[in-house]
Amino acid sequence: MKKILELALGLITSVGGFLEIGSVTTAMQAGASFGYQLLWAILLGTVCLVFLVEMSGRLSAVSKHTIVDATRERFGFPFFFFVAVAMTIVSFLVLVAELGGIGLSLQVLTGIGFPWWAVFVSVAVWLLMWKGSFSLIENGASLLGLVTLSFVVAAVKMHPDWGSVAHGLLPTLASDNKAKYGFVAVSILGASISPYLMYFYSSGTIEDKWDESYIPMNRIIAGVGMSFGGILSMAVLVAAVLALQPRGIDVQKFEQAALLMTPALPKWGFVLFAFAMLFACLGAALEISLSIAYFFAQGFGWSWSEDLSPSKDARFCFVYTLIILLAAIPLVFGVDPIKVTTMSMALTAATLPLPIVPFLFLMNDPIYLGEHRNGWFSNSVVTIIILISFVLAIISIPLQIVGG
Amino acid sequence: MQLKALLAIPVLFLWACKQPTPAEQLDSALSWLATAGMAGDAWLRHTTPDRYTRETLELSRKTLEQIRGDLLKAPPSKVDAASLDGALTRSRRRIAQMAKLVEAKDSPAFATQLDSLRSDEKIVKQLDDSANAGQ
Repeated sequence: MKKILELALGLITSVGGFLEIGSVTTAMQAGASFGYQLLWAILLGTVCLVFLVEMSGRLSAVSKHTIVDATRERFGFPFFFFVAVAMTIVSFLVLVAELGGIGLSLQVLTGIGFPWWAVFVSVAVWLLMWKGSFSLIENGASLLGLVTLSFVVAAVKMHPDWGSVAHGLLPTLASDNKAKYGFVAVSILGASISPYLMYFYSSGTIEDKWDESYIPMNRIIAGVGMSFGGILSMAVLVAAVLALQPRGIDVQKFEQAALLMTPALPKWGFVLFAFAMLFACLGAALEISLSIAYFFAQGFGWSWSEDLSPSKDARFCFVYTLIILLAAIPLVFGVDPIKVTTMSMALTAATLPLPIVPFLFLMNDPIYLGEHRNGWFSNSVVTIIILISFVLAIISIPLQIVGG
Repeated sequence: MQLKALLAIPVLFLWACKQPTPAEQLDSALSWLATAGMAGDAWLRHTTPDRYTRETLELSRKTLEQIRGDLLKAPPSKVDAASLDGALTRSRRRIAQMAKLVEAKDSPAFATQLDSLRSDEKIVKQLDDSANAGQ
């Protein structure tokens, strides 16, 4: 009974915690500019994420190692340091974007500009982490994030052409504006295959004290939860096709995005969008801040747990305190979170091989996984994901130059 | 050496944020005209707050002003620059007027301005089509 409840909660949190400013922005830009044509990128990103998250959970449940400390142990400090620098830069930019997303949501609700909210939002996120427990962060924010289901309601209410939706799930080339098409596709994949999600999930497995008996549950949460999350992203794209594309609106600012649900849900669409973004970005900001702190603590062998009091894992708490403080600075000076989002998604894609390649080695190491090592199918999938990550890394910067 | 290469990635990304071409600027102008129109529609249907509508209209106006300045310096080829300038100038004035009418809660006058804005949007769209046809 306890496990069924945990499974239900796990599924709910996967769905409620899936969307964040990157996935929403890139899906809206895709729908507004290219119709249903880029649905395949969300599908591909979600499939990759399902497998990587499942492996992250399995590795931690069986070996009691997170991905980060296993990477450090298996590949040594120089490689870990290299990954740490890349992940810190990328995660920092994503954190700026998420905190900015909360500020922008508050801006459209109150009319007070997001730079004025930056300090308040950062302190609120920090306080939640300082005072809260892991389950509060994992479940609380994600439960609130269920308001993002309103994107699905809005998309369905606008009566999309389901044949075109199904057609969009198959990869096609753009007839014109190929560079922008490629750039948006890369950004969607960068937003979907977020390394911080894997680090957070892997650390959460340890925080929740999972063991081998949780392997089936891990598979269901990763498979079903993340797939439903992917459907949310697709709903955003579909809503953008129907609400923004016919009017010729290309999403460059949050104010434009805020109109997404007003045609489908005239009474509540505006408020639902603002709250959906507020909670989605809050959940993501908490997860990213924790992921960065987990990364450093696990990599350097410090004491770490969100459930410990700050006096018992001071260096862990110092990392998230510092990173939240630093992330607030560009926002106070009015740096546009949407621009940071676009840049961070492409940068995530550019650095993707670094966190992904270790999976192939770790998931085949009998010392860590014993009989739960990857089989031929999982290894084939990881190999394909690694190939995709290298392609993304190579093409992301040229595409940013010509299509970004 | 590897670390330096990694640190160079964000610098490359910053450098990669290129200036938009005149054709892209024209598309952007159309997008902001449509944004002002959609925000106006939403306000007339009482689905968005006054403050948000005013600020979105103001943002549209400012962005159009900036785009107009850029397009004057480098207009897209095969486009009648005077017609484009006229349409964008009128649009900016109408959007500014619409923001004032939101404050005054004058829906009938707002609807009239919105209709006129739609006419200007059509003119800009035709100019954009002619620019695209010329490419």
